[in-house]
Amino acid sequence: MDLNTIKDAFDRVAKKQKLSSTTTQDVVDKVIQEIESVVRKMQSIDDDADSTDQKVLFSELRSKLNEIAPMQQLEASQKELHIGLSKYSKLLEKYFNPDISKAYRHVDFDISTLNQIIATHFYRQGLFDLGDCLVNDAADPSAAEAVAALKSSFLDMYRILNAMKTGNLEAALSWAATNSERLLQNESTLELKLHQLQFVEILRNGSKNEALTYARKYLAPFASVHEDEIQKLMGCLLWAGRLDQSPYANDESISQTSTYRNKITEELTQQFCSLLGQSNESPLTVAITAGVQGLPTLLKLATVMAATKKQEWQTMKQLPVPVDLGREFQFHSIFVCPVLREQGSEENPPMLMPCGHVISKQSIVKLSKSSSRPFKCPYCPLEANVSQCRQIHF
Amino acid sequence: MIRVNHRIAEKEVSAVISSVSAAADRCEDMTSEEAVTHLTSLVSRLQGLKRKLEEGSKVEALQAQRCRARLEHLESANADNLNEWNDTRLKRILVDYMLRMSYYDSAVKLAESSNIQDLVDLDAFLEAKKIIDSLHNKEVASALAWCAENRSRLKKAKSKFEFQLRLQEFIELVRAGSTLPAIEYSRKYLAPWGATHMKELQRVMATLAFRSTTECEIYKVLFEAKQWDYLVEQFKQEFCRLFGMTLEPLLNIYLQAGLSALKTPFCYEEDCPKEDPLSQEGFRKLAAQLPFSKQHHSKLVCYITKELMDSENPPLVLPNGYVYSAKALEEMAKKNDGRVTCPRTGDVCNYTELVKAFIS
Repeated sequence: MDLNTIKDAFDRVAKKQKLSSTTTQDVVDKVIQEIESVVRKMQSIDDDADSTDQKVLFSELRSKLNEIAPMQQLEASQKELHIGLSKYSKLLEKYFNPDISKAYRHVDFDISTLNQIIATHFYRQGLFDLGDCLVNDAADPSAAEAVAALKSSFLDMYRILNAMKTGNLEAALSWAATNSERLLQNESTLELKLHQLQFVEILRNGSKNEALTYARKYLAPFASVHEDEIQKLMGCLLWAGRLDQSPYANDESISQTSTYRNKITEELTQQFCSLLGQSNESPLTVAITAGVQGLPTLLKLATVMAATKKQEWQTMKQLPVPVDLGREFQFHSIFVCPVLREQGSEENPPMLMPCGHVISKQSIVKLSKSSSRPFKCPYCPLEANVSQCRQIHF
Repeated sequence: MIRVNHRIAEKEVSAVISSVSAAADRCEDMTSEEAVTHLTSLVSRLQGLKRKLEEGSKVEALQAQRCRARLEHLESANADNLNEWNDTRLKRILVDYMLRMSYYDSAVKLAESSNIQDLVDLDAFLEAKKIIDSLHNKEVASALAWCAENRSRLKKAKSKFEFQLRLQEFIELVRAGSTLPAIEYSRKYLAPWGATHMKELQRVMATLAFRSTTECEIYKVLFEAKQWDYLVEQFKQEFCRLFGMTLEPLLNIYLQAGLSALKTPFCYEEDCPKEDPLSQEGFRKLAAQLPFSKQHHSKLVCYITKELMDSENPPLVLPNGYVYSAKALEEMAKKNDGRVTCPRTGDVCNYTELVKAFIS
């Protein structure tokens, strides 16, 4: 998209606008001056009350005002401004789609559900004030109830995260300890990593004994599975108080730069959400980003369909064209039979032929003339029997 | 997005033009006047105009600054700050939604806390709020004032909102039983619409005969309180149209597009991965009436790693027919002496038994 042309046009408009407002000001000033001078003159000759004098003054004033020609000046500058403005708005319409609601289907979203989703989104971002404010504004007690549980969970999470930011790992450690089994199920070594952080912190302060007791108590249980890590940490004991000179100084988990700490914080967030049964990314963010990616295709489709079959747009069960989203939005395996060009289903599942190619069951039935004879794979020279084909699950 | 501001600026400009022409008219009047007092009053009027102009240009400058901020915001989108930019976009969309739903407190709070006041239309909506409130209180004055302010553009859009307001006011007069003022009112304000909206006009005039206690269905509805709600809805629509905004909240539009694009029959199965928004009840409810997405080509995602399976990470078939990515199965075989376990059925087999599947 060429933003520069738009910007140029906008600059022109802005300039014209300034120009015209200053001219307007000037003109008004001049008019005021003229009238005031006439008023002064009139007051000075007021006593005489000579009507001819007044008439002269008026005609003078009129000619002077004509000289200033306020209307013409203003009109000229306004005209210029308007030309600029209309050019600008045309340009905008050319570059931006003026009406993205064309692709909108008149399906009413359940407001309460939507508000719940938004409130949850705020909570998971740590914006508790905003979430509460929204729930208040919406004045929907059922929604408030529905999000209350998640809210308190996220409150817990942010309590832990905030403590971590100030260097206090206690809350995080106790959370990891209570959930250690579930963390292991997720194949996460978060608990060890947190202990590592704490251990190195103690070492950095130079108290070898304290570190040793800590290691005996908390690190020993991990020794069987994470031998390497523990050995490294024990090695660090020799450099207590001067870790930066140790051979491990370049090791990420020992030097503990702020990026490493951030990484651990992130992992904790991920694991916390995962144990809550929540996704890593806010689902609202995911859905909206997908919408932004998919909308251009839908808009094109809507324009085409508006011309031919307007009715179908509101009622169709499946979009007639694929909407391409990025890889990160691919959550499910979708098999499309390359012969039939149809999506696989329970009734028409994907089948693996002996040659390794996969087509749908219906295609196989067709190719083999209702399973009566061997057939050639559509993609290679190998022949196959129906009995040799087997269903596969993605 | 920017069109909105541009429109506002345009409005300001036209306001300035009209006040200027009014001033010019006064100049001409003045020449025929004779008294000094008139002249002095004229001067003060002009000075008032000057003040107004100054205010107007201040507002214009503010609008211009906003336009610029929005342009710059659009320009600032690049690969480096994409995440941040997307986040801002989501916030913008949310603020828009809240403004339209009349959650003003939340909207203001969100806009302020994320510093995007210049990117959203708080002022415009707050102005609209006043009108909506007064309509809820069954007062049409501020809405009529708004109509007068934007008359030329409403006319261009063939809006009959003003007519509807006048009708409602007329109905209120009839309800109060003041027939004569009602007739007077209709002569003054309703008659000009006769050319284009004769039918509605006739219907409303008939209420003079039927009165507010009527049981006749056609006329009874005109006296119902929900007519006012209808006016509020009408106003919201006219307002959005005038500012070049979509009638629906942006959130709904994007959410619909996104959910449509994401929706597959598999989303409603039990093992739907958590990362899919449609694995959550709320999103499923919203998407219930939307169409499914369509694919022309197979897209395979490994059940274990959730990674895409393609020629670099080909799908391998277990003897039991289940398919996983080569990467995941290799990893598993390495850890378990060449044996792999199907996570969905628990079947165990050797890595050597796996068959590569070709999917075009």
